[in-house]
Amino acid sequence: MYRLIVMHETRALARTGALWAILALLIFAIAFAAWSGGRSVSRQVKGASDAASYEAAMRDRMRTETAEYEAKVEATGGPYEFATVRHAPGQGPPQGTNAGAVGGETAVYVALPPTGLAALSIGLSDIQLDYLPITMGKSLAMTANAELENPVNLLAGSFDVAFVVIFLLPIFILAMTYDLLSSEQERGTLAMILAHPVSLRKLMASKLMARAAIILMVVTGLGLVAVLTVGTQLETPETWLRFGLWIIATLVYSMFWFALAVLVNLYGQSSATNGTILAGAWLILVVIIPTLISLVATTVYPVPSRMDLTVAAREAQSAAEKNMDKSLNAFYAEHLEYVPAGDQRAMDFMTLGQASANTIEKALSPLYAGFQVRRDQQQGLVQRFQYLSPAVMMQLALNEIAGTSGQRYEDFLQQAVAFRAEWNDYFAERFLRQDPLRPADYDSFPVFRYRPEAFSTVLLRLAPSLLGLLVLLLGVAMVPFFGIRRYQVAAR
Amino acid sequence: MIRIIARKEFAEIVRDGRFMWTAALMVLLLLTAMLAGWQRHGSYMATQAAAQGATNTQWLKQGDKNPHTAAHYGNYAFKPLGPLAFFDNGVTNYTGTTVFMEAHKQNFAIASPAADTSAISRFGELNGAMILQVLMPLLIIFLGFTAFAGERESGTIRQVMSMGISRTSLLGGKALGLAAAVLIVVVPCVIIGAVFIAMTDLPVVGEGLVTRIALLTIAYLAYAGIFLFLTLAVSAWSRSPRAALMVLVGFWAFTAFIMPKTAAEISKAVHPSPSYGSFMAAMKAHQARGFDGTPPWAELGKFQGQMMRKYRVSDVKDLPFYWTAVRMQRLEELDQRVFNQHFGAVTAAYAAQRRLQDRIGLLAPTLPLRSISMGLAGTDLIQQQKFQDDAESFREAMVSKMNGYLSKAAVSLNGVNSASNYLIANEDVFAIVPPFRYQPPALATTLSEHWMNFAVLAFWLGAAILLALLGVQRMSLERD
Repeated sequence: MYRLIVMHETRALARTGALWAILALLIFAIAFAAWSGGRSVSRQVKGASDAASYEAAMRDRMRTETAEYEAKVEATGGPYEFATVRHAPGQGPPQGTNAGAVGGETAVYVALPPTGLAALSIGLSDIQLDYLPITMGKSLAMTANAELENPVNLLAGSFDVAFVVIFLLPIFILAMTYDLLSSEQERGTLAMILAHPVSLRKLMASKLMARAAIILMVVTGLGLVAVLTVGTQLETPETWLRFGLWIIATLVYSMFWFALAVLVNLYGQSSATNGTILAGAWLILVVIIPTLISLVATTVYPVPSRMDLTVAAREAQSAAEKNMDKSLNAFYAEHLEYVPAGDQRAMDFMTLGQASANTIEKALSPLYAGFQVRRDQQQGLVQRFQYLSPAVMMQLALNEIAGTSGQRYEDFLQQAVAFRAEWNDYFAERFLRQDPLRPADYDSFPVFRYRPEAFSTVLLRLAPSLLGLLVLLLGVAMVPFFGIRRYQVAAR
Repeated sequence: MIRIIARKEFAEIVRDGRFMWTAALMVLLLLTAMLAGWQRHGSYMATQAAAQGATNTQWLKQGDKNPHTAAHYGNYAFKPLGPLAFFDNGVTNYTGTTVFMEAHKQNFAIASPAADTSAISRFGELNGAMILQVLMPLLIIFLGFTAFAGERESGTIRQVMSMGISRTSLLGGKALGLAAAVLIVVVPCVIIGAVFIAMTDLPVVGEGLVTRIALLTIAYLAYAGIFLFLTLAVSAWSRSPRAALMVLVGFWAFTAFIMPKTAAEISKAVHPSPSYGSFMAAMKAHQARGFDGTPPWAELGKFQGQMMRKYRVSDVKDLPFYWTAVRMQRLEELDQRVFNQHFGAVTAAYAAQRRLQDRIGLLAPTLPLRSISMGLAGTDLIQQQKFQDDAESFREAMVSKMNGYLSKAAVSLNGVNSASNYLIANEDVFAIVPPFRYQPPALATTLSEHWMNFAVLAFWLGAAILLALLGVQRMSLERD
């Protein structure tokens, strides 16, 4: 009997134009989303590699000049000397011997590599720069941190697979289920069906089964196709673990919307009323609550204005410049190892810059800390309030799965800050000692290696959102599961 | 007769439970959004004014130093917001608020608010414009989808028609009734918004506030009209209320959620713009290579020869101006051509993307309305571009004034300039650079960019009315 109803429902659905229209839209939407997500990721990757290879080519040129200089010195037997910083071709040792010029005037880029599924959920990666320029002397907080993109496009947001799953899939699901019982009720066929040896529970389950099977098979199938076409690192198991999580999240999220439709149908209103209620529920859960949470987060914990930070940074810079002698002395007092032999203090602008950068950074560190605290508070508030909306939980989950979450970026930033210190120390030390760089030294420059997070860390961060979705699903499904026996079949 | 129908329609809608709930939700959200927007706008403008004042003072009080070093120290431009940003924040969250203006380098506006928010901000911002663009159409749909379809299902439409009323009058009555129901929700909120503006004592950036508000009102009324007549049209055409609801909610999701993103993705593919890394690599390489292939140092050598021939001197130290300063200014001008080309290409790509998206508005009325609303509120791309252009003009003037002063004041140092012997200027010299002032684009500029969007909205309104007229004419009075 069970199978019979499922078969009948499937056949009935296949006869209606609505199913085919919905499936066509779904296929088109996911294909478009995969295409644009893939474009977005490859644009980022290209940006990172263009920037890095330009800077690497600069250093290569410096190295070549230094090697030529070394050969010349060896041939003529003169001293191997340190060049002062200058910006036009001239006589004397090449710029490549000056650690300040190499470390301070070329940048090295540290990059956050995208995960295999990055194209599925863009998250904030169209706003935040996934590759950061590191130079000696310049604090990371004062360098560019935003990707270059048309603000109009940023305002609209990405048409990624996450958007299709979070926004559109529920609409498609609700369009197929909003009149699950009410249409049979309105046509008067419900009572006739139930006159047969079939319970309402069974009827409902089979109707649901027919719809859920079609939609979910199509969605997971399309997800797989999307991964195979725009996913990367397909040979690593981690990509497939992430895809497994993607399927679980998508199934739970979809089932929530099916359950919600059943729940509303059990109240026995007309199809039109059910449609209104479900459209309203979609609006509240997917649009209104998320924007309200965002509004509360930014109102309760406003991040201090970057404009104030700019003024303060300048104040500190002015103070540092006015006390240049003092700050240089303070710097040398802290770093006795850098005082050049014979104390011929090379007061060129880079030494001063290096000294004042330290003073400025010290003056600003409490301000940066304030930024960080507020951002953490905002993030914490969103984490706590996410349970109010399945769409928010799903967005956080999908960003985590695709590796575009705020926390993964935060971890990358910390690695970048640590590397900046390493890069800075390496070049500042050589520069302040006026120790000329040899071509061979170019091989010992610090190299950034991104340390991927442990997968368990990812799972741990994912757990609240995923479990929250599951609990919500069970909660919503519970009501019809127990309430179905009270459904009034007779015409009213 | 139209009035009677309108009164009946209005009374029926208002007495329906749907109305209470949706209207209450709408009013609550609109007030919350306006209040939050007003508060945010006020604190932003206060911060901006304070920051601009502070950096202007810092420029003057930077301490005695060489004028060119002062140009390196530079100044900052902080963007003031448009007069109606509290209502429509537009692209503000996604644009830089701060431009560093320094010698030798053109910089992008940095510090966009979005870079400091969490991923949830991508769900959008709850502001007055968002509510009117997204929620108001749904309110209209919810209140109106049963207008004809419902009456046909309950059979009352035959009775109404038997009174001898024309179908057009029936449509007119229904439209008036529905419009009244929507307006009693929206108008009080708009009035409260106007009170907010009146209460603000913030300096108004951009002229023609009254014209802007009037045009905004017209645009939003047209937008509401589009949904009102589309709702009535679909209600007349469709077989049942639920079919009408399906079609209308589908169209609403299409125009309010799907199309803005789709248009953005299409425009990105048609008019690609470089990422930060590609942009910087290309521009720096071009700068080192020289604008037309001659490296800057070679150009400067040529320039030196020209100057020496022109003034008939055999040594730079005999030139009648301070050579170092003129040379730096020349380098500035050489770099400027490269900057203009690369920054200009990005600007052009963004403008092309924006225009294409506006044109896609022929498929979705939310797109032209969004553009008009941002434009009139002073929070769109055109304003942002003007801000960056103003900052760049300021930068060029600042650098050229400092180099120019140096070239005249330090003539005696020609040939003997060194790290320990150079001209020191004071506050009086720095004061020849007037403080940065952002001049927002004139209302006429904004309008000339947007007349097409007004035309598209008018086209949609006309089409919707036509569909509704056709719909009632062809409407069957029988239940299926």
